[in-house]
Amino acid sequence: MTSVNAAAADAIRETVRHFILSSINIPNLDADDNLFESGIVNSLFAVQLMTFIEKTFAIELGPDDLEIENFKSLNATTAFVLKKNGQQAG
Amino acid sequence: MQHLLTDQQQARYAACREFVAQNVEPFADAWDSEQKLPAAVISLLARSGYLGGSLPAAYGGQGWDIVTFGLLNEALGRGSSALTGVLTVQSMISMALLKWGTDEQKQRWLPPLAKGEMIGAFALTEPGAGSALQSLTTEFTPAPGGDALLLNGRKQWITCAQLAGVFLVFGKLGKQSLACLVPRATPGLEIEPIQGLLGFRASGLAKLSFSNVEVPAANIVGKPGFALSHVAPVGLQYGRISTACSGLGLLRGCFEASIAYAATRKIGEKTVGELGMIRSLIARMGTDLEAGSFLCHNACRSEQERAPEAFEKALTAKYFTSRAAVKAASDAVQIRGASGCHESSPVARYYRDAKIMEIIEGTTQIHEELLGKMFVGRAGRSGN
Repeated sequence: MTSVNAAAADAIRETVRHFILSSINIPNLDADDNLFESGIVNSLFAVQLMTFIEKTFAIELGPDDLEIENFKSLNATTAFVLKKNGQQAG
Repeated sequence: MQHLLTDQQQARYAACREFVAQNVEPFADAWDSEQKLPAAVISLLARSGYLGGSLPAAYGGQGWDIVTFGLLNEALGRGSSALTGVLTVQSMISMALLKWGTDEQKQRWLPPLAKGEMIGAFALTEPGAGSALQSLTTEFTPAPGGDALLLNGRKQWITCAQLAGVFLVFGKLGKQSLACLVPRATPGLEIEPIQGLLGFRASGLAKLSFSNVEVPAANIVGKPGFALSHVAPVGLQYGRISTACSGLGLLRGCFEASIAYAATRKIGEKTVGELGMIRSLIARMGTDLEAGSFLCHNACRSEQERAPEAFEKALTAKYFTSRAAVKAASDAVQIRGASGCHESSPVARYYRDAKIMEIIEGTTQIHEELLGKMFVGRAGRSGN
């Protein structure tokens, strides 16, 4: 990972982490915590998180993006956002 | 409220109110009595561009903003909740498809939906699954051959199902939720009209029964596992906004009918409006109308801006206006007295329709559960 991409990845990860922690009543969130299996992202919060990601990172999600692998954790979401923006996480 | 609207939004609202005054209000009681919307008024709604107002021009829609969408719902809701129900479900299926449909699906289905050449219906609720969507029992199974699915199950209380040419059906594929487009003419699909409803009597509700209905896998909207978490919420968000604004329109109807009656109806030497207890009822109604207008505008603008809090704003607006509409309709009947209890008075219809507003697109109690949880969850966090 280049230093530029690493910095971008850190910024994305922290932005998403802050949004989740300010929306869901949990004390902390590790980068590899599974957002779905843990119940952090349920059917009511999923679209709010998606909307936040779309707006904050200026990307548009479509049907091809609907993969659990893209959003299962902070790290997965970060890699997905970088990929959508034409960058690679590593 | 008007000062928050652009000139264009005000003009479209005024045009829609004129449309309602000419084409809806004089006939709404008859539609209610007959429990049916005439095809001619659906055609008029379509020709005016209202059924595809929120869809992009590329698909034959008007590309209007969501504040305008809310205003149209309010204007129509002033005239007929049942007719507004057509706009509600057309928007629910259209916007879910716009967001999660494939290019092929969008090219095929959105233009006829935008132009009103086809009515859509959102087939989510089941006899045993209303608020508890995880309890869906409608089942998709792979059909022999691989490129199709077999659909079995039942749906109930499906608005516009009597009119719809296509259904967005939600069910389960194994343990995963699935949404799929099912054309009306598909063999094995039976549609049974529901009559005798308390309100929304002309909205064309029906029960659906699917018996080995074969649908192409190409009709799947989104992907398996995302129907309840991503596809349905897009439609339901528009459903909540539409219902919130339609409820606001009904509230406006109650207010306007009540002040007109109070200003002219005499009791002895005084008008009804000179009585303090009637003024109290009208004061609450007018204040709720003003408050509801701001909540609806806020919900529409949040959705337009794609703000993460748009969900909460839509819940808040729908929760407020549906309850306020019930209160206003009850008071509007009370103010009119006996004449408000007869089908010749629109307030009698408002009274029945308003109660439905508290049930569709999430009951009042579900809204309280969600909003209460969200508000309490803010404790100790920044930005509250």
